[in-house]
Amino acid sequence: MKAIVLAAGEGVRCTPLTNTRSKVMLPVANRPILEYVISALVDNGIEDLVLVVGYEKEKVMNYFGDGNDFGARITYVDQTSQLGTAHAIGLAIPALGDGNGSFLVLNGDNIIEKETISKLIANHAGDATVLTTPREKVCGYGVVMSAAGKVKGIFEKPKRQISHMINTGIYIFNRDIVAEIENTEISGRGEYEITHTLQNMVKGNRDVRVTVTKNLWMDSVYAWGLLDTNARLLASCESAIEDTATIDDTATLTGNVEIGGNTVIRAGSYIVGPVKIGDNCDIGPQVTILPSTSIGNNVSLGPFSYIQDSILMDNVRVESHSHISESIIGFNCNLGPYSICEADNDVNIEIDNELVPVEKSGVVIGDDCKFGSRTLTEAGNLVGNNCTVRSGTKVDRHLPANSTVL
Amino acid sequence: MCGIVGYVGKAGASSVIMDCLRRLEYRGYDSAGLSVLNGDLQTYKTAGSIDELNKVLPAEIEGNVGIGHTRWATHGIPNDVNAHPHCSSDIVVVHNGIIENYLKLQEWLEDKGYEFVSDTDTEVIAHLVHFYSNSLDLFEAVRKSMAVLEGSYAIAVMSKNDPDTLIAARKDSPLIVGLGENEFFTSSDATAFMSHTRNVVFVDDRELVKLTPEKVEFYDMEGQLLEKQVSTIDWDVEMAEKSGYAHFMLKEIHEQTRSLQKTFAGKLSELEGNVQLPELKLTDEQIRNIGRVEMIACGTSWNAGLFGKYLLEGLAGIHTDVSAASEFRYRDPVMDCNTLTIAITQSGETADTLAAIRNVAQYESSTIAITNVVGSTITREADNVVYTHAGPEIGVAATKTFTAQLIALYLLAVHLGRRRNYLLPDEAKAIIKNLKELPGNVQQVLNQRDIIRKYAARYAANRDYYFIGRGLNYPAALEAALKLKEISYIHAEGYAAGELKHGPLALLENGTPVVAIVTKGRTYEKMLSNIKEVKARGAEVIAVADAGDREIGKYADIVIPVPVTNPLLSPVLSSVALQLFAYYTALEKGCEIDKPRNLAKSVTVE
Repeated sequence: MKAIVLAAGEGVRCTPLTNTRSKVMLPVANRPILEYVISALVDNGIEDLVLVVGYEKEKVMNYFGDGNDFGARITYVDQTSQLGTAHAIGLAIPALGDGNGSFLVLNGDNIIEKETISKLIANHAGDATVLTTPREKVCGYGVVMSAAGKVKGIFEKPKRQISHMINTGIYIFNRDIVAEIENTEISGRGEYEITHTLQNMVKGNRDVRVTVTKNLWMDSVYAWGLLDTNARLLASCESAIEDTATIDDTATLTGNVEIGGNTVIRAGSYIVGPVKIGDNCDIGPQVTILPSTSIGNNVSLGPFSYIQDSILMDNVRVESHSHISESIIGFNCNLGPYSICEADNDVNIEIDNELVPVEKSGVVIGDDCKFGSRTLTEAGNLVGNNCTVRSGTKVDRHLPANSTVL
Repeated sequence: MCGIVGYVGKAGASSVIMDCLRRLEYRGYDSAGLSVLNGDLQTYKTAGSIDELNKVLPAEIEGNVGIGHTRWATHGIPNDVNAHPHCSSDIVVVHNGIIENYLKLQEWLEDKGYEFVSDTDTEVIAHLVHFYSNSLDLFEAVRKSMAVLEGSYAIAVMSKNDPDTLIAARKDSPLIVGLGENEFFTSSDATAFMSHTRNVVFVDDRELVKLTPEKVEFYDMEGQLLEKQVSTIDWDVEMAEKSGYAHFMLKEIHEQTRSLQKTFAGKLSELEGNVQLPELKLTDEQIRNIGRVEMIACGTSWNAGLFGKYLLEGLAGIHTDVSAASEFRYRDPVMDCNTLTIAITQSGETADTLAAIRNVAQYESSTIAITNVVGSTITREADNVVYTHAGPEIGVAATKTFTAQLIALYLLAVHLGRRRNYLLPDEAKAIIKNLKELPGNVQQVLNQRDIIRKYAARYAANRDYYFIGRGLNYPAALEAALKLKEISYIHAEGYAAGELKHGPLALLENGTPVVAIVTKGRTYEKMLSNIKEVKARGAEVIAVADAGDREIGKYADIVIPVPVTNPLLSPVLSSVALQLFAYYTALEKGCEIDKPRNLAKSVTVE
């Protein structure tokens, strides 16, 4: 079987992190989300993949190349305008090549594991199969109504609680879906949506089936949601230290800690796993890193800095005496000495004129930001890309991209 | 500059050879051919690319032994007759290199009754081997021929009378053997067969290889069997494929965020203010005693070398000269044992650079090679090797390997500067900090690709282009001009900005684009006056300047901003921006970006 992975969308709700890369490329546990999808496919023996790319496609292509490093053979299809999932699938089908076999369709921005899709692959029959998963709260998701394994209806974000089965966006189709896609009318959102196609098929009495999974399927709707996903994925990480890493004798590592090549952990550092640290990092001396923290490649952490439950992306530099908790620091950020990224309980984060309640949250900082010394970023604030925060100042509200705090 | 391939094995030789040749196309692509041995000899060749060859090949050719060639003409124009393989009744040969005494040998062979049909130097090899094979077996005939041939060659030879045997040999041209399972390869570059095997043996000069379906044997010129070491190649041939990008060049430009990190990985020690280069085997005394550095390189590597001059003089206090290898070879250089020679070559096979470093041997001074290709010839010619670790580069125009060379030169300059106590720990620390930030900065430059594309399209119709810069931005200007002329065929010249009024100013007309690299630094103010100077002559000024520089907007027509970094490092960022500029200019003009006309990737002929 072959698979089409949809990776062209931006993921606007994960702003500011998605202003420079698509959501599929956001790192959790030091791997882009899309890599989990590709690994799950390869582990199920699906190695011929068509990636539909569009928004910031270069970053996807740079990372995955032709797929060889990931055990896959990847063909890229460029969706230049975002006209919806049905449109994307329609563009990708010719790239599946000859043959009449059925094929998988997945979203590149949901984290799954091997078992999530294995039953679906084994059970596919009829004209199409939809993979669903039970959720307590279905708010914000597409919901699937079914009876005796057959889909009765698919509803986008219904107001009423009509079912606990949400649509994972993972499907198996037969090649004849092409005709159905061509007949799909444009939706109220101005897009050609595959759920519409399916709805039409149900109405036309086609054989659309459902398979339920209770395995991993995670969707980070907002940027800070990545922290939960990160913690969940790190929980299953194992200790692994590259041969070229240097760890000072006086550094303490407990729990499962993964350390990449050429990384240096200097004297007196204290690291409690699960923690992942990438390649070429320079940590310490005397740095504390506490559980559920992922640190990317080429990151420097200065003496006496303290990091917990956070994601630090590649090329981040944190100077001495900084404190980062429950926070996400984007690529290439520079935090001066005594930078504090504070965390708090029960924070309301305003996004798109809506207040989203979050149990515990720190801050989210976009790419390329520069913080001077003794800065305080208060819990629940989002800092856009390329902001400059001068020494001794406080960030107490969201900062749009390219702002300067004097 | 050509690429050769040989195959002995189980699968159909012709399809394997075609696959290998496609991967060698970067070495030349003006004609191609192959021969397969199957009791009979079948040879197909044509002018044009590998695709052209594919058109003249029959659907199926039987036979498990074969040789192939992709050519870049040196002797004789690219046509069907001059394409390799060359044959002499039952002998066929493919060859990379130049036979210097071919005219003399040709006369001698003509006396013996041989008829020459091509204008190539290679045909003499075929006839020569044939001449000896009257009394000897193929291996001995090749060995005997090698004693007579002068010049450089990597050859693969087959004979109808020696079924299942392929003989390869080398002198001064690259040759590598790949060991697969029941199949063996030989080629100018391991990239050719990497999808089949990664276990390779590097053949040395004046060695012969005998490949049969059972085994591979290595011999010296005396016919003694040699023990050779098997190495494993760890880079991916698949990496060398385009993966979604329209061109290799664009892919390679984008790879720089990662390739730069690989160049400095494990070498920077910020807290100590040190760069560790354990691969340098120079003693402290040798380093203190360096009186002068001679940089030797060609093309883009020469531009990197000029950049290295500014760095070594500024950071390590060592007087540095930069020579084009093709000039150095025929000069009478004044050198002594305290002159350090640094040879820069991406491929490690650049013929002139190799010859130059061989010339240097007589001074018994230290040599350092900066190269991208592990195990290439230069790594065996130089005492010390600094690898750039940029991964394979397929686009003919060097991009990521150029910036990787710059990084290698920073590492070297800081390392030497610190060990000579010329550079203070604090100064080194500041450079190291900024070096670590460089991959992120490069990403910021790449994020501006759409703006750069727009500007490039605006000026793509111009006939002439000038690039100016001062200090370290001068080599960056030279490189940017080279990129533009290589791939977009626009006449482009790089100048030290202060030199403008000594001539080039006369060439400026209304609307001539002048690209000024004007990042902040010692010469910023001077650059502003140069910009005014060209503006006054009607030039359109495209400035590459620090982000947030408000001043420059008053003088330039267009500003391409690059992130602010240490002035020593900003040329790396300007170079990336201008690589994109050249790429999009060529794209706008519809040029063949990955294979510009008349050029080949690594120049293994003089």
